[in-house]
Amino acid sequence: MASRRDAVAAEIPRLRRYARALVGGNAEADDLIQDTLERALAKLDQWRDGESPRKWLFSILHNLHVDGLRRKSRRPPHVGLDSLGPEQSAPAADGASGRDLDRALQQLSGEQREVVLLVGLEGLTYAETAEVLDIPVGTVMSRLARGRGRLRTLMDYEGGDKGGDTGGRAALRRVK
Amino acid sequence: MSPERRVSEAELHAYVDGELTPDERALVDAALAASPEDAALVRDVRELNEALRLRYADRLDGPLPPRMRQLLGRVPRWPAALAPRQAALAAGLLIALAVGAAGYLLHEYLENRSQPNLTFVFNAIGAHRLYVQEVRHPVEVRAAEEHLVRWLTKRVGAPVQAPALAELGWKLMGGRLLPDQGQAAAQFMYEDSSGRRLTLYMRKETGLNNTAFRFVESGDFGAFYWIDRPMAYAIAGRLTREDLLSLANAVYAQLEKQ
Repeated sequence: MASRRDAVAAEIPRLRRYARALVGGNAEADDLIQDTLERALAKLDQWRDGESPRKWLFSILHNLHVDGLRRKSRRPPHVGLDSLGPEQSAPAADGASGRDLDRALQQLSGEQREVVLLVGLEGLTYAETAEVLDIPVGTVMSRLARGRGRLRTLMDYEGGDKGGDTGGRAALRRVK
Repeated sequence: MSPERRVSEAELHAYVDGELTPDERALVDAALAASPEDAALVRDVRELNEALRLRYADRLDGPLPPRMRQLLGRVPRWPAALAPRQAALAAGLLIALAVGAAGYLLHEYLENRSQPNLTFVFNAIGAHRLYVQEVRHPVEVRAAEEHLVRWLTKRVGAPVQAPALAELGWKLMGGRLLPDQGQAAAQFMYEDSSGRRLTLYMRKETGLNNTAFRFVESGDFGAFYWIDRPMAYAIAGRLTREDLLSLANAVYAQLEKQ
């Protein structure tokens, strides 16, 4: 069991990175990681030998994240920061490219965000991403294209967000 | 223009994500050469992925909150993926950098990440990618030419050093001058006996606070970068994080002595 605990511990930096990008705040992300670790340690014995600890932990994190969102949505009066557009949230005084990226990510649907981050940030394969999220590979691919298209638009890359293979892909110009 | 089949958007993403077979890749390569739009999408998606890794890199090496450490008992405080030997090696530098003055600086730096212009890391990675594959002209001035360092120091406007990494198996090939947002930057390239290449990129940096080592990965290579005023550095190569870290340590140690 000790080696399994070590394997879990070794994944924490990546889990934290992913959670931070996913939920948009350090404190909220660490809460999610704390829950993930507690859950993982409680069911270490369910972790099949040979199964990648990363995939297993990302699945747990995903399930907890989705549960959390569901709970939130059952309490309508609470308006999460996530649901506020950029104009309503903190004033854009910083002009930060990093914060722009945070904001742009938060404007994706949660489903798109997960896929964009698991593939683009964490380097999971499509197959691994599909397993973690428990969706077909085709869905991974379509969410990925939509999410990245939207990010291109939001981050001022010209011509993103065509939502599919419509033929009207990116123009050459790049606005910066 | 050409009768070639246009590749789908999904294929372009799969291309960036390394999900295609060699044959499929070749097809996309051809399509990219013919379609600036497709090439722009590929470029943007790569840039986006790099921006994501840069943006959230600090989460990889930050100290764990006490409650997490408590939960796990003996969790290493620093990059958990490090093997014990390297961890011990890294510990000296990381602790010196992190626990000391840098704790505050790092915090402040992270908070002010807005303006800090980490473009140099992008530039360093871009230059790495571009020049390591050069067969005939990997460097502009070869290491054997003694004016190499003098020339780069003069152009960069701050003392530039090419650390000796021979003990770690890396031979200096030479260097080149590069533009970096209107400033001059220097890139040194090293090669090991198996032909792998490593680049060390540096430019003057007086606007940002000093930082500890930060790791970013891009595709199959990684880079450690840090700021040690008046210079910003990035070391990149197709190496494991641990190997890169020991190289970054060696570079840092030598530069400190200068």
